[in-house]
Parts: sequence; C-alpha cells; structure tokens
Amino acid sequence: MADNSDVEMNHETAEPVVNNSTEDPSESNAARASDWVRLQSSDGFSYLVRRKVAQTSGTIRTMLDPLGGYAEANSRICAINERGIIVEKLVEYMSFKSHYENVGPKEEIPVRDFLERIPPEIVLELLLAADYQDSKFHTLMLHPLTTDKLW
Amino acid sequence: MTTAPRRGKPKIMAPKKHGPEFSVDKTWTELKKNIREIQIQNASNLSFEENHRFAYNMVLNKQGETLYKGVKDLVVENLDSMAKERIEPVFPSGTTDATVLSDEDSRLLRKVKDVWEEHTNNMIRLGQILKYMDRVYTKTANVPQTQELGLELFLKQIMKTPIKDHIVRSVLNQIRHERDGCPIGRSTVKGCVDVFISLHIDHSTTIYKRDLEPAILKESEEFYLNEGVRLLAECDAPTFLSSVESRFKDEDSRVHHYLSSQTSGPLLAILDATLLVPHLLKVIEKPSGLDFMIDSNKFDDLTRLMDLCVKVPSGLQILRSAIKESIVRRGKAINDASRSDDSTNAGGEKPVEEDGSAKKDKGKTKTRAAPAGIQPALTWVFGVLTLKDKFDELWRKSFKSNREVESSMIGAFQSFMNMNNKASEFLSFFIDDHLKKGLKGKTDDEVEVVLEKTITVFRFIAEKDIFERYYKRHLSKRLLNGRSVSDDAERGMLAKLKTECGFQFTQKMEGMFIDMRVSADTSRDYANHISQSKTPELDLSVIIMTSGAWPVPQTPPVCIIPPRLGSVCESFQRFYLSRHNGRRLTWQPHLGSADVNIRFNARTHEVNVSTFALVILLLFEDVEDDHLSYNHIREATNIEEGELKRHLQSLACTKFKILRKHPQSREIDDADSFTFNQDFTYPGKKFKIATVLSKLENNDERRDTMERIEEERKVIMEACIVRVMKSRKNMSHNDLVHEVSSQLASKFQPEPSGIKRCIERLIDQEYLSRGDDRKSYGYIVSLFYWSGVQVQ
Repeated sequence: MADNSDVEMNHETAEPVVNNSTEDPSESNAARASDWVRLQSSDGFSYLVRRKVAQTSGTIRTMLDPLGGYAEANSRICAINERGIIVEKLVEYMSFKSHYENVGPKEEIPVRDFLERIPPEIVLELLLAADYQDSKFHTLMLHPLTTDKLW
Repeated sequence: MTTAPRRGKPKIMAPKKHGPEFSVDKTWTELKKNIREIQIQNASNLSFEENHRFAYNMVLNKQGETLYKGVKDLVVENLDSMAKERIEPVFPSGTTDATVLSDEDSRLLRKVKDVWEEHTNNMIRLGQILKYMDRVYTKTANVPQTQELGLELFLKQIMKTPIKDHIVRSVLNQIRHERDGCPIGRSTVKGCVDVFISLHIDHSTTIYKRDLEPAILKESEEFYLNEGVRLLAECDAPTFLSSVESRFKDEDSRVHHYLSSQTSGPLLAILDATLLVPHLLKVIEKPSGLDFMIDSNKFDDLTRLMDLCVKVPSGLQILRSAIKESIVRRGKAINDASRSDDSTNAGGEKPVEEDGSAKKDKGKTKTRAAPAGIQPALTWVFGVLTLKDKFDELWRKSFKSNREVESSMIGAFQSFMNMNNKASEFLSFFIDDHLKKGLKGKTDDEVEVVLEKTITVFRFIAEKDIFERYYKRHLSKRLLNGRSVSDDAERGMLAKLKTECGFQFTQKMEGMFIDMRVSADTSRDYANHISQSKTPELDLSVIIMTSGAWPVPQTPPVCIIPPRLGSVCESFQRFYLSRHNGRRLTWQPHLGSADVNIRFNARTHEVNVSTFALVILLLFEDVEDDHLSYNHIREATNIEEGELKRHLQSLACTKFKILRKHPQSREIDDADSFTFNQDFTYPGKKFKIATVLSKLENNDERRDTMERIEEERKVIMEACIVRVMKSRKNMSHNDLVHEVSSQLASKFQPEPSGIKRCIERLIDQEYLSRGDDRKSYGYIVSLFYWSGVQVQ
C-alpha cells in the first residue's frame, strides 16, 4: 500500500517535533485554539495552520482532540494523506471558511471567485478529499449557488 | 466512486486511491490490532489518520457491516475480560462485620467505576476513528452509533445479573453505612450511581430508575420505619425533632451528592411517611413536647417543629390543633384564676411560669393602686395580654407568621375568652384602670402600648354589645369625675374602638365628649351671668348630659337637696332654660361632687366629697356635737338605702373619718348613729374622700344587666331581620339566619334559635309571611307597628 508508506514517512519526519511539544496538553482551551498545527501532505509539503482554522475540518478536529489522545493530538502534526496541491486547496478552503464564517448576512461572500480558483484537473480528487475531511467543502463544491449550505 | 470518472475532460485525473490493492482482511487485521491497543490505553502511540483511514476505506469498500460487527465483538470481548479479571474477584464476601463489609463494598464500587470510565474512554476513542462509519454506515444499516453501542454493550455485558445485584447491594450497604454515621467514599458511590443513570433500557427509563431506585426506596423505608419508632421511644421531643431534621438534611444532601435528584421526591416522601406522619402527634404530646417548648421559649425547637409539620399535609393541622389546645388550656387557667377572687396574684402566675416574677411585681403595684374589687379583672386581662404577647412572639419567631397558625391562635383566644362571661366587663375595667388619671407611674406611651394590645384582645370578644355597655359606664364615670388621664388618650381609645367596630359603636360615646365640651362652655357662661348680678354664694359647675347618650337612669335617685344647694340649682336651671327653650333638666345628684371647707378643732381642711356626702355633712352643721341616728339621716336626706350606706361608710369608715360611727365597725347598720368628728386631723390641707367604690357587679346586678342586654338584642335582631327582608323580599330560612348572623357579628353572636324566635314573633306581628315551601319567608309591606322595630 502506497498510502501506508506515505504515512510512515510523515510519521518519522514528525517525530522530532513531538519531543518539543510534549507540554502542550496542559495548555488551556483558549491558548490551544490559537496555537499552530502542522498539516503534512503525502508528498512532503507541510502547512502551518492555526488550530482554529484546521478544526473547520471535522476529521482534523477529532484527530487533534485531546480526549482521544492519539499521536496527532500529542504532536500536533497531522498527516493528510493527499498530494500537496490538494492539501493546499483544503487549507485555502479552511481559511476561507473561518474568515467568512461569522460575517453578517449583508456582506457578499466571494464563493464564485473561490471556486474559480480550483483547477479543474484536481476537482474530483479534491471532492473525495473534502468528503474524507468531513468539512462542508464538498457541499460547497457540489452546490456553489446555495450559500446557506456553505458551511 | 472507485472507478474512473465517467464524464468530464480527459485532463481530469482519476483519484489514484481505493484501487484494487485494498484488502479487507489486511485492513481489518491492522485495525483490530490497533483497537486492542486502544483498549489497553495505548492510543497515544497510534496514528489517528491511519486508523481513521482504515475505517474509512472499509466503509467505502462496502465493508461497513464487517467493521461494525468486528468492533462490537472486540468491545464485548474486552468488557467480558474486564468483568472477569477486575470485577468478579472483588465481589463482597458477605461478611457481617460492618467495617470490613464497607471496605469490600467500596472496593467493588471503585472497580466498577474504573471499568466504566475505561470503557467510556475507549468508546470515545473508537468513536473518533469510526466517525466515518457512524456518519455513513450506521444510519443506513439502522444500527446504533458507536457511543450508543458502547452503552448498550456495557449494559448487556456488565450490568447483568450477578454483577448488577452485587453493585446494587453494595450501594445500599454504603448508604446504610453512612446512615449509621460512618463516613463512606461518596464519590465512588456517585460514580457507580452515575453508571446506572447513564444506561437506558428505553428512551425514558434508565436502569437507575428500574433497578437501583426501587431498591434504595425500599431499603430506606425499612430503615426509617425502625428509626422513627426508635427515636420516638428513646428521645425527648427536642431531640426527636433535631434528629429528624438532620435526617431530612442528610437525605437531601445524599440525594444531591451521590444519588439522583429524581429520587429526592420519593425519598423525602418516605421520610415524611415514616418519621413524621405516624409520630408527630405523639411527639407534640410528649411531656417534653409542644407545651414544654412553649413554656420554656424554645424558639429553635418550635421552629423545627413547624418546619417538619409543614412538610406533611396533615402536619400543620395537628400542630394547629395542638397550639389551639395549649392556648385554650392556658386561657382556662387564667379564667379560673380570675374566678377565685381571693387569690388574686397566685392564680395568674400559673399559666406563664417564666413571666411569673415580672407579673408579680406588676400585680403588686396594682394591688396598691387599685381597689381590691377590680383586681381579678386586671389580673385576667393582664394574663390574657401576656399570653397573647407570648404566642405572638412564638408566632413571629417560630411559626413563620403562618396565617393558618394565626387563625388557630385567634380561634383559641376567642374560645377561651368567651368562656369567661365577664370578659367584656374585665376588659372595660382594665381600660378604665389605664385611662384613669394619676394611678400609675406609667408614661403616656406605655399606656398607649397597653391599650393597643388591649384592642387586639378586644377583637376576640364576641359580645361587643356587652363591652359597649360597660365601657360607656366606665367612660361616663371617668368624665363626670374628671378622672380621665387626658382627653387625647380617651379620644385615641375611642378612635381605636371606632376602627374596630364602626361608627355606630362609638356614636354615643362621642356624644358624651360633646356634652362635656358644651357643659364647660355653659358653666362658664353661667358663672359670668351670675357674677354680673351678685357675688355667687357658691361656684357651680354643671355637666349637661344628653339623655340617652349616657348610661344614667332616666329617673335619678331621689335626695332632698338642702335649700342652700337648691337655690343655686334653681338659679342655674332658670339660666339654662332661658337659653334653651323647651328643654327639660333632670338633676342627677348621685353623680356630682363638691369641694367644701370643713373646720375641725385642729385646722380647716378643703375636702372633696360627693354630692350625697355633702348633703349628709350639711345635716351635721346645725346639730353641733350631737348624735344623728341612721334613721334620722335617711329621713332627712331621703337617699336610697344602699347608696346612703355607701356614703356613710366613706365618711365614717375609711381613712378619713370625718364622722364617728357608734358603735364602731366596718359596716353600717340601721341602728347606728353618727357624730361629727371634731378631732379629725390630717397633715395636708386638701384631701378627697372617695366614695366606697362600686364593686364589680354582683350576681343580681349582672343578671339584671344580662336581661337588659337580651332585651336589647331581641330588638336589634328584629330590626336586622326586617332590614334584610325589606331589601330581599324573599329569603330562605337558612339564608336569612346566615345573613343576620353575619350582619350582627360585629356586635354579638346571635343564636340561630334566637333568630328563629324573632322571626316567629315577626310572623305573628305580620311583618313576614311564611313561604309556601315552609322554608322561606316573604316580606309584608306594612304601614303600622313600625316604630316598635326601628329602634337601632
């Protein structure tokens, strides 16, 4: 399984960071919301993202949940088993979502602009990844005009 | 989705994953291994992403069912092993040693709690990696999600017969242990109870409700049944109350700390039913019960009693009747004490021991100040006031100012006060005593306070018309003799009576005050008028009383007024009648008084005597040093016998012996004779010879008064019936009786039989007619016999 080896590889690169951040679980919730987490793609790209932003994905939220206490929650390094270009689009969506999440009803959300930035050749892969990530991204992609289903 | 996209441009790449390289067995084996790791708390070494993807892939590859079943089996396996390895070994041994047993119970509960916590944590972790399964598979397959599955399995694998029974037993033992006063680990018990609360058998029922709560309630009921009996047998009332109160507190805290608040109601109901309902009455009746607590002012205990009594529906009723009984009993003691006239002080102390000393002091000052005749009245009212004060305090402090208790107290006071047929008389005497000038070393404020209290007691008296009669009598005496402490005080009291009983009640009394004012003016005018013509022989001050308003006889006692006085009277009468045409003046000599200068051997004194006494003394003016026989005096003055004796007694037998009586004794006899006492000496210049006081009415007089009151009542009732019938035209018997009773309640309480007699009389007189149904009456418009009824 190619996926498996990718994960393994990521796991190894993440290891040094684990040691640096072992004191994290004691931090308060507020501090935790603003700290940084690392998202790593299967081909070795990594993205530093605010935890708050990363948690717009249900899967990443659970992954980082200290209650579960899985390796990722301790190391704050999340291996995303996708190519870098996909992870990048996911991160872009997460930022887009958390930026526009709380705007007033009047303000226009540039959904169309955002969707137009998605290169057509990755759409299908991105759709699958978005579904796996349990974010509303795939809904957005499938129903771009119904803004009430955005998030 | 696993195949290449069916449409779109060729540029678009098919996702490379989920290809045929996916192997169910391999993935499941890996996942299974990892789940076992999770179950031994090794999650931190596992990658979430990896396991999540395993589950994801399995669901994606239509292996949801395999995954679900596999997880379920793993959880069951884990629970079974935990039950076997960790719970079963610590089953209590069934020892009888309480301490050992408690330890064993506690150990079992702790283990169960641990297992539960571990299991819930596991299920949370499994839920996290199986999230995709929960999202996609469980709904379509219509099976519970991972979390629910966890609860279900725990219920099935752990909370089953041997284990569950042991847990329930242990929880009960722990509760029992704590009730026996030993400390237990509450958090452990709470942990286990929470497990019961978390597990549902259906939507609304937890196994706590099904298995644990009934057991707890049953056990509690047994425990408290015995406890109630034990407490009642072993403890005195205050201890019983405080024990029960702390039991209530304990159970309440127990329920909230480690049971469920839903048990609170039923459990406390058990306490009510076992500790309070069967025992309250017995506790109240204990020698150390309600009466003792009231006697010794145990406010805290009484508060406790009250708190406990209001918990149960019948409790307040029991308490109320006990309080009522207690008051009535004390009241009867006061009644009895006042009846035995001779033991004026001793009797009054009985009902309120701790106030005895204070009361005695007051009693003594009164004995000095007031003539012995009215002492029982004062003692009685004082006793009642003290009792009222005491229960008011109790009511405020201990009975939470509860309205129902208050009404019982009022009822009790009414019942015992109206048992004393002299109540109205006594009360009026008491007020009289306080409104009289210069008798007490009391300030106006103190008197005011006492009178205010008296009014509250006055409310309890049913027969206010009797009181009115006595009060008028006393008031007139105060006014005529100038004995009122102050006009303000009198008017204040009158205002109070007015607010209590209405305008009619005080109308005549206010008339008396008006008469007093008008009389003062008239006397002044007369004095001016006289001084213009000649120097007055003697000063005359007259009080003109409107007839009817004052309680004085229509025909005054006769008396031959000596010419010296008679001429002045005639002069005034001429003056008055010249100003007020068509009026008639009747002299009431028995109410007057005179200031006379009397020359004795030693010196001249200014003496204040009653008019009758003056008339008697004037006889002696002409017969220097000679004896006057009783018969001679009677003929010369024509004063009625009893009255004459009374005045002679005051002149010859009191502190100031202006007359000498032969032979000397306390009572006046028909054969006695009198001489003027020339040798009389007294240090002061002025003194007043009080007429020997009218005592409380003797029985004949009282009977007479009562008869007169009965007569008056008949008239009032008839008038009331006619009034009611005139406005209603037709009324049933019961309605009429009820209406009349309620209208007259402010004056007295008419007997239904009395009302009935009045109705019959009115039917005879053709005011009313009997209705066809024999139960109602009709009003007959009539033009005659009107004046006879229109009295009030």
